[in-house]
Amino acid sequence: MNDAPDISLTVLPRIRRGWRLFLFYSSAVLLTGLVSLLFADLLWRTGWSAARTILLLLFIVLFLLSAVGCMHGVYGFFIRIFGTNHRITALKNFRDQKISGVSTAVIFPIYNEDPVRVYEGLRATYESLERTGEVEHFDFFILSDSTDPDKWVEEERRWHELVRDLDALGKIYYRRRLFNEARKSGNVRDFLNTWGRRYRYFLCCDADSVMRGETLVDLVKLMEARPTVGLIQTVPALVNAESLFGRIQQFANRLYAPVFIAGLNYWALDLGNYWGHNAIIRTEPFMQFCDLPQLPGRKPFGGQILSHDFVEAALMLRENWEVWLAYDLEGSYEEAPQALIENAQRERRWCQGNLQHSLVLFAKGLRGVSRLHLLLGIFGYLSGPLWLAFLLCFNWIFWYQKFTGLTTITLPSLLGNWSGSGTAEAFLIFLICMIVIMLPKFLSLIDLARDWPRRKVFGGLAHAAAGVVGETVFSTLHAPLLMLWHTRFVLTNIAGITVGWTTQKRSAAGTSWLYAAQRHWGHTLIGGAWGAFMWWLEPTLFWWFTPVLAGMALSIPLSVLTSRKNLGARARILGIFLTPEETQPPLEIVSLRSRMKILDLTGDKTPQPVHAGLAEAVLDPYVNAIHVSLLREKKLNPVYAEQLTRLGAGSEAVRLLGEKLLADGPEKLKPSERLAVMADQRVMVWLHQQAWLRPEEKLAPWWKAMIREFSQRE
Amino acid sequence: MEPALNNPAGGSDQIAGRSLEEWNAAYVKVENYFHALRIRNKPLLGQMVLRVLERAQQRAPAEPHRTATEIAAEEMDRLVTGWFAEVLQLSPTNTDQMLTTRGRLALLLADMPGRWQEQFLRPGPWPDEFIVAMRENFLLAGPDFQLSKMTPRLLDLGPITTLTNLGRFPYVRMIAAWIFFGLLLVAVFWLTHRIKNE
Repeated sequence: MNDAPDISLTVLPRIRRGWRLFLFYSSAVLLTGLVSLLFADLLWRTGWSAARTILLLLFIVLFLLSAVGCMHGVYGFFIRIFGTNHRITALKNFRDQKISGVSTAVIFPIYNEDPVRVYEGLRATYESLERTGEVEHFDFFILSDSTDPDKWVEEERRWHELVRDLDALGKIYYRRRLFNEARKSGNVRDFLNTWGRRYRYFLCCDADSVMRGETLVDLVKLMEARPTVGLIQTVPALVNAESLFGRIQQFANRLYAPVFIAGLNYWALDLGNYWGHNAIIRTEPFMQFCDLPQLPGRKPFGGQILSHDFVEAALMLRENWEVWLAYDLEGSYEEAPQALIENAQRERRWCQGNLQHSLVLFAKGLRGVSRLHLLLGIFGYLSGPLWLAFLLCFNWIFWYQKFTGLTTITLPSLLGNWSGSGTAEAFLIFLICMIVIMLPKFLSLIDLARDWPRRKVFGGLAHAAAGVVGETVFSTLHAPLLMLWHTRFVLTNIAGITVGWTTQKRSAAGTSWLYAAQRHWGHTLIGGAWGAFMWWLEPTLFWWFTPVLAGMALSIPLSVLTSRKNLGARARILGIFLTPEETQPPLEIVSLRSRMKILDLTGDKTPQPVHAGLAEAVLDPYVNAIHVSLLREKKLNPVYAEQLTRLGAGSEAVRLLGEKLLADGPEKLKPSERLAVMADQRVMVWLHQQAWLRPEEKLAPWWKAMIREFSQRE
Repeated sequence: MEPALNNPAGGSDQIAGRSLEEWNAAYVKVENYFHALRIRNKPLLGQMVLRVLERAQQRAPAEPHRTATEIAAEEMDRLVTGWFAEVLQLSPTNTDQMLTTRGRLALLLADMPGRWQEQFLRPGPWPDEFIVAMRENFLLAGPDFQLSKMTPRLLDLGPITTLTNLGRFPYVRMIAAWIFFGLLLVAVFWLTHRIKNE
């Protein structure tokens, strides 16, 4: 047992924690109350109506959400000025903890991702950990859920290459599930059921995660220093963006997140949240309490919980384990979408998951703070349709006024003369709204100005300020698109309609004009029609609406241009949107980028033939050997053995499919049949032998072509 | 260097009762496989192929109904399997073909293509380092299993469970849609007539 550390983390008594929560949210409520009163007064002055009641209600909800966001910025700003001991990294001397004898698994759940990028991220993390001299206490697991046979085979091949390069046989493992039940949470559960008890902690990474070795070690030491902690979530920094969109998001993340998350930590403390990756988890309580139940009812709300992370944190908290945000621990990285449309695709997945939380919200026994986390997540998506409803209601009031021919008679304000005319009062409310939205950005900039080294890595205050202006302009145009997207996602989810998205046609330059037109024509049309309606209704009003309408009307060029890498590079040359990881990249990111660049320059550019993975798994003597040995090992686990039987492995039917594959080629088999063949070790060995032994006349032409290709490979 | 192709059957345009064309096809087939095993040294590759073809030519006159390629491919398989059995000290009568899989994996883990090309298919004795590399390397997908079973904890959703179960009653969706439509009409009426009253 390690010596007890000198712990200086101040744990607040429950009542004081409650006081913090009360103070924080009361600030938001107070602000909302005052501004709503002003807005109600304005509505009353122009004549009350039912529509105005709806408008006021929508205003209150929307303003409250903005005020909560603003308070995160304000509280975070002051916390960063005055400092706090109420953070997990305030555990004094936690770095003196010894971690010998402590086993930690670093897991990378993946699903049809680019194996090159995943493995290079893992390599950078592993090498960084090696440099700390503590790598022996960690094992790495690639937990594949890939259903694409090409990806499956490439993952196996590249895993061996990685292990060979790093001399990490027995340190980096690869496991592919036969059935990807319950998606990522099922993948992690499968890992825990198979190996979980070997490890005191596990650190969950995303496919694009990179972690600094010292950060991994620090996380383990923090867990060791405080045995009541169940989970520590790091705040990943966005890195490696090249497009203009990606760089803007990255800049916003790096500049605003420290302030916002400090504010979040103010009220959450040890009742924090889990974001699904770049977090360390105590295995035992997680296994005991965090297996997710199925929700009652039908999809999209019922069934498997999609956004599992929030719920897992809530379950951990329910059992009195602490969940912390290690917001000041550097060395945790991830990547973000590079274009508007990719970003929307991700939003769509998250939207469904977050809406599903509306059921969990009422679960008995959850901590109140967990309900708050869930509620904020839900309103992150509901705010889109609510904002749209607000705008439509506002338009409707104006239209009705015009339609009925009634004249607006503005009454004196009930609040006295200070609020001025109706227009002045409306402008005042608008100004307050703008301040509430912009204040956290401004405070983040002041926070930067106070910190010389940090200011320098953002390219200086002037460049950072220019970045904030640019980001604000962009987010103003982006917000109406998100509003329309979120509205669509929410409505289709409620109706149980699955929205199909074709794979994005990306060129090296970014989103193509045609693809952008396919995805945004509706936005453009809405923007144009709405703009024309507003102009007809009241030209003065039109100008007030231009920021909203411009985002929609210009959505196609906005989407295409912000996806461009050359514009991202140009902004970088001008010193705009610079982040610390761009100006002073850490070793892990340098290593990752340089290897990705080398692979990009030296890699095989020829397009892969169809079913290349299958061909490789059958024809390449080494890839076949790796593939078969991995299947063979699976049989030792009763769960996998049972699944192999379900797939028909070892049966005559699959052997006949193998025969058909040789004689007729892969196109004659269904995808599920191809997967069944590839999951049968005996058939795969047999196929390898037969493909090389049989005369060409007895093989399908596809095999002949593949054999020819293999014989020409260097 | 091994001798060039023998001509046991005698004929000028035939070897072992097969045309030169046929033996050429057999040569290509065997060469392709060794190429796939990453034997990149040309003289070594040539020697191996000729060794296989020599064995095939000895068998060929006894099996006139089979093509030279078929016989050569079979001989290649036998030669490689036999060599794996010797190096790995396993029985060559391994029927499920796992011996060749194990052998190919051992070649890969011992880095035969990079370090030991000259040892491949060569009769023993082999260098100790090579033997150790071939026999002692195993590919592990994971450490030893430590199986357990996570059990989902019940979430008591209270009245939500009842609400989600409502959908199972017949016609509930249709009735809900009618009610929604009715409420919509009421709302429209209310919104449009309140203003006039005021």
